[in-house]
Amino acid sequence: MGLEIKLTVNGNTHTAELEPSTALVDFLRDTLGYKGVKLCCNTGECGACTIIMDGKPVNSCVVLGADAAGADLVTVEGIADGDELHPVQQAFIDTGAVQCGYCTPGFIVSLKALLDRTKSPTAEDVEEAISGNICRCTGYTKIFDAVDLAAKRMS
Amino acid sequence: MDYFEPKTVSEALSLLDQHGDQAEVIAGGTDVMVDIKYSDEPGCLVNIKRIPDLNAIRESNGGVHIGPLATIHELEESDLVRERLPLLWQAAHQFASLQIRNTATIGGNICRASPSGETLAPLLVLEAQAEVTFSDGARTEPFGAFFQGPGQTSLGSRGLLTGISVPFPAAGSHAVYLKHAVRGPMDIAMVGVAVMATANGDKTALDDVRIGLGAVAPTPVRAPKTEALVSGKALDAALVKEAGASAASESSPITDQRSSGEYRGWIVDALTRRGLEQCWQALTGKEVA
Amino acid sequence: MAKAEYTVLGTDMPRKGGVERVVGKGVYGIDLNLPDALSGGVLRSEHAHAKIVNIDTSEAKAIPGVRAVVTAADAPDVRYGRSYIDRYILAKDKVRYMGDPVAAVAADSQALVKEALGKIKVTYEPLPVVVDPEETMKESAPTIHEDMPLPKNLPEGVQVKNVCGYAAVNIGDAEAAMAEADVVVDEVYETKMIHPQYLEPRIAAARPEEDGRITVWANAQAPFPVRTEVASLTGLPLNSVRVISTGIGGGFGGKGSGVTSSAGLEPICALLALTAKQPVMIVMDKAEETISTTIRSGCKIWIKTGAKKDGTLVARQGKVVYDAGGYSGFGNQAGGRCTQMVGGWYRLPNIHMDGFTVYTNKQVCGPVRGPGGPQATFAMESHMDSLAAELGMDPIEFRLKNVPEKGDGIVGVPKLRDSSLAETLNTAKEKIGWGKVKLGKNQGIGFATGAWIEGAGPGGGAVVKMNEDGSATVHIGKVDYGTAAPFGIPMIVAEVLGISTDDVTVLNVDTDASPWDAGTVGSRSMLVSGNAVKLAAEDARDQILRMAAGQLEASPEDLEIVDRQIQVKGAPSRSVSLASVCNAGHNEIGDVIGRGYFDSKASQADERERGSSQPFTTHAALVEVDADTGNVKILKYVAVHDVGFVVHPKAVEGQIEGAAAMSLGQALCEQVVHDSDGRTLNPTFVDYLMPTINMLPRIEAVTVSGYPGAGPYGTKGAGEIGSVPPMACIANAIYNATGVRVRRLPLSPENVLRALREAGK
Ligand SMILES: Cc1cc2nc3c(=O)[nH]c(=O)nc-3n(C[C@H](O)[C@H](O)[C@H](O)COP(=O)(O)OP(=O)(O)OC[C@H]3O[C@@H](n4cnc5c(N)ncnc54)[C@H](O)[C@@H]3O)c2cc1C
Ligand code: FES
Ligand code: FES
Repeated sequence: MGLEIKLTVNGNTHTAELEPSTALVDFLRDTLGYKGVKLCCNTGECGACTIIMDGKPVNSCVVLGADAAGADLVTVEGIADGDELHPVQQAFIDTGAVQCGYCTPGFIVSLKALLDRTKSPTAEDVEEAISGNICRCTGYTKIFDAVDLAAKRMS
Repeated sequence: MDYFEPKTVSEALSLLDQHGDQAEVIAGGTDVMVDIKYSDEPGCLVNIKRIPDLNAIRESNGGVHIGPLATIHELEESDLVRERLPLLWQAAHQFASLQIRNTATIGGNICRASPSGETLAPLLVLEAQAEVTFSDGARTEPFGAFFQGPGQTSLGSRGLLTGISVPFPAAGSHAVYLKHAVRGPMDIAMVGVAVMATANGDKTALDDVRIGLGAVAPTPVRAPKTEALVSGKALDAALVKEAGASAASESSPITDQRSSGEYRGWIVDALTRRGLEQCWQALTGKEVA
Repeated sequence: MAKAEYTVLGTDMPRKGGVERVVGKGVYGIDLNLPDALSGGVLRSEHAHAKIVNIDTSEAKAIPGVRAVVTAADAPDVRYGRSYIDRYILAKDKVRYMGDPVAAVAADSQALVKEALGKIKVTYEPLPVVVDPEETMKESAPTIHEDMPLPKNLPEGVQVKNVCGYAAVNIGDAEAAMAEADVVVDEVYETKMIHPQYLEPRIAAARPEEDGRITVWANAQAPFPVRTEVASLTGLPLNSVRVISTGIGGGFGGKGSGVTSSAGLEPICALLALTAKQPVMIVMDKAEETISTTIRSGCKIWIKTGAKKDGTLVARQGKVVYDAGGYSGFGNQAGGRCTQMVGGWYRLPNIHMDGFTVYTNKQVCGPVRGPGGPQATFAMESHMDSLAAELGMDPIEFRLKNVPEKGDGIVGVPKLRDSSLAETLNTAKEKIGWGKVKLGKNQGIGFATGAWIEGAGPGGGAVVKMNEDGSATVHIGKVDYGTAAPFGIPMIVAEVLGISTDDVTVLNVDTDASPWDAGTVGSRSMLVSGNAVKLAAEDARDQILRMAAGQLEASPEDLEIVDRQIQVKGAPSRSVSLASVCNAGHNEIGDVIGRGYFDSKASQADERERGSSQPFTTHAALVEVDADTGNVKILKYVAVHDVGFVVHPKAVEGQIEGAAAMSLGQALCEQVVHDSDGRTLNPTFVDYLMPTINMLPRIEAVTVSGYPGAGPYGTKGAGEIGSVPPMACIANAIYNATGVRVRRLPLSPENVLRALREAGK
């Protein structure tokens, strides 16, 4: 063990130790217990591990854990308001966009970041926001539907 | 593994001197993290992200100064880059997913020196300069000299890239960056072609045509013969065709899991033609006849 | 075919477990938190074909914190497999592909596992490698399995080697009929290996229990076959092994064929746990998966068809060489299915097909989404377009001319009781705008039809247990990875029992408690568990109504359950609550436990007797080809299906869209690339290219009214058939756009441009 870092995740402050070579995804899942951050490709290609770091969506598998020192992170666990789901979360359920659901946290986080940036995203904005998120189950149609529904409900 | 977070460039340089080949610089980490997982872990990691002011993007001396820690998305968001360096902006815009663009730095892209690196051919075409710093001093050099082979740069294991200066392109110039990949931005480019040109006074010919090729040689390269072939001339279909073939002959692509060398040659040909046609049209308002 | 007569069926109720998934609860195998578990890892072969001369584990074992190091020598001398029992838990004597597991380690940390794996010294004697399925059949090829015989059903006089499966189709006299044809088209097609690439990596965890048993957690689609194989490979009695299925992040058949699909991960993990006498958990890395777990095989298909001038098909001859990989895996079944499907689903009186499934030094074939079907259909439906072109006929008209009708037989189905193929063709034609949309330069429209004929399979059971508040707990043998278990199954129970789906809990599979099941594979979830659960719920309902009849002084037949109330039909004021009856049951019959069983044999006999209704489909695509680069952009994609009765419209559409997308990936870019040494060149997602949202149009799934199938209420399987037509559909659209026929997958920019150049375009 080497490094001790302090960071905020979903508004909670954590202080924990990590090996300097640890990827942020492993630190979040294994040390801090944020299992909603999903691990898949481990190479930044699938978006399953997407989190919001200081306001920006990033793939936590290609971020050095140590870089989270002092950072403000949001994971999928921090998106609902208590029992009240975020409109994107609700829309994923309502449109059938959750099949196996393994990609879902990554999509939700990417889309939450998008809707934080703009309330009425264009088709290009949506494509840009989630092209880095792979879903192997849905063929994306229901995910498009979910985005439309969430945007509609939010506006 | 040893780990350091130097707070100044000189502190970082002395760490590199001290640890030599054992040390690996890490910036955004999008390349280094994958290496740590799938290749061997370096003996020591020098994280330069805590060095202040290395991510600036600002106007300076008739051009733009870019700090190596500027992320690809920061380039994309910068009005200065969008308006004055559209070629670099286009490359940034076609660079991977938003998540990666939020993490990857331009310095990392350059120092990785992968022939397919998105920003490299544009930097060659823009005739940008690298500011390289060693513990015994700094110098600037053109990127043509900086890139020495796949993963090889003039930094060796002890230098840092501390800045990139990009002169403003000539007024009235037009540029296009074309990336060829199956999934657009999401893939590593099979081929990238950057074309920039200006028109002569009465818009009857192209001047100062510059062509940069990515992913088709051990380093990103310019295509000087092709540039000479078209500069000062009016573009017509025959010349465009000749230029495409010429650019292909100036490339030396390899075959790998992404595509064959032969195919890459065809794409250099196609994208060079397309780039020239688009420049011609933008600069003269006419289709290539 | 949703009907108004149902309360729950036909609605889009929210997925069971949806909330947990959108808020990021750790429901998946990879999220399992097993206290005191060691980390495990597997050493994989670095040769595609080699003799193992020696394995020295002493250095690895000596590392402090390393708790177990195992090789084949530590396990019983037992092999596993499906048609050929050809594989040890860990490679013994020989490795047969790069990625073949050779040894395994359990240690206190992942870092120690990595270190220990690096310290195991394996001495190999490399053997010649064969990766090409055609080459492997030649005399000159190296022998991959010395002690595996050729298939018993091989026709006499056939000189082949490394063959582990043979299938034939013989209908009429193809040779004689071919001579009578006016037009004959003869072609060769080739498809490449893809990996199912479900997003959640394979995991296995095992814990030795105090009583000598072992508990295994697996994110496998077939927990019962996993139990059988873990028991036999570790030497434990079957009843000492308990397999619990975790939530599963995708599978697509890739997690389907027992322990074969995971390259033995579950028994390896169990062996480590038994050796270390401690719990062990292994999480595979995605790149490790690409090279080692089961895949959709590549194959080569020769197809020759004769037709009359008016377009009537008269004969087909052909051959399939199907790549099983280093072990037989699911190769024989998939290769056989592929061979049948090249025979097609049109009216065709004379067919002869030979299908060979072969060993090569590559990853092993699994039952990946429609095993054999997409490959066969790429060839068969591309070929139908080639025939139409040769005949100068419209591709739709040509197909319509040959669609089977009620009473006809097709390959694999002796008698159809109806046929919706024409309806799907006509709907697809209309939806895509064939003949109506104005096509731009290099734009084209393509069609391909598909069928998915469910093979015979075992039955399966269901138990519906009523709780005293009127809610129901359901045990089935199917796992939850987003198909029937969280959608259709609870709806059926709710419909039958007059309760809400909120009152229904479908339990994960636990082999100690759940009814036996062959696995969540083969589009059989609704057929098997849907039927079984319907019967089980009806059984529970009957028990409840019998008890209520006394209280309400009515006969059970006159009662119904509406909204948790049991009432007399037509006199709803005479009612008692479901809860009170279930509760009172504790003093009368004990728990209300309904039991149901899908009798597969009876269902098949019935289908033979009455004829069977098949889930036909037609897909249509509008594409644009960039003639300069070979890039193909899909502008519109329509998938028209007859899936019989639709229990949950969005779930069914989702299956179709997802299955189509997976095959569109294979059409455009996906493949596992090998070099001649058998090394996988693109193990990570950096170069293993799956469709991203920016390269696909919004796939439109359309269900036609169709005909009822053999599933509950008339459903038909929907999980696989969507993957059948897309590759041919895109190839046909490219042909329509450019006049060039690409016969080799993927239809990548390079392959398309090459074909265009060869054709002088
Ligand atoms: C999923 C994914 C998609 C990608 N897609 C693309 C793409 O489309 N186009 C593309 O071009 N690349 C792509 N890449 C590659 C990578 O993101 C880029 O090369 C990126 O710019 C690297 O920047 P970084 O800050 O992350 O570099 P790091 O990983 O931190 O470093 C990269 C290399 O540069 C060295 N280095 C970094 N900064 C300095 C410095 N200032 N001085 C000296 N040495 C330094 C490091 O030692 C290391 O060798 C992709 C990567 C991933 C994971
Ligand atoms: S796991 Fe991080 S992007 Fe795939
Ligand atoms: S729902 Fe399974 S990967 Fe998206």
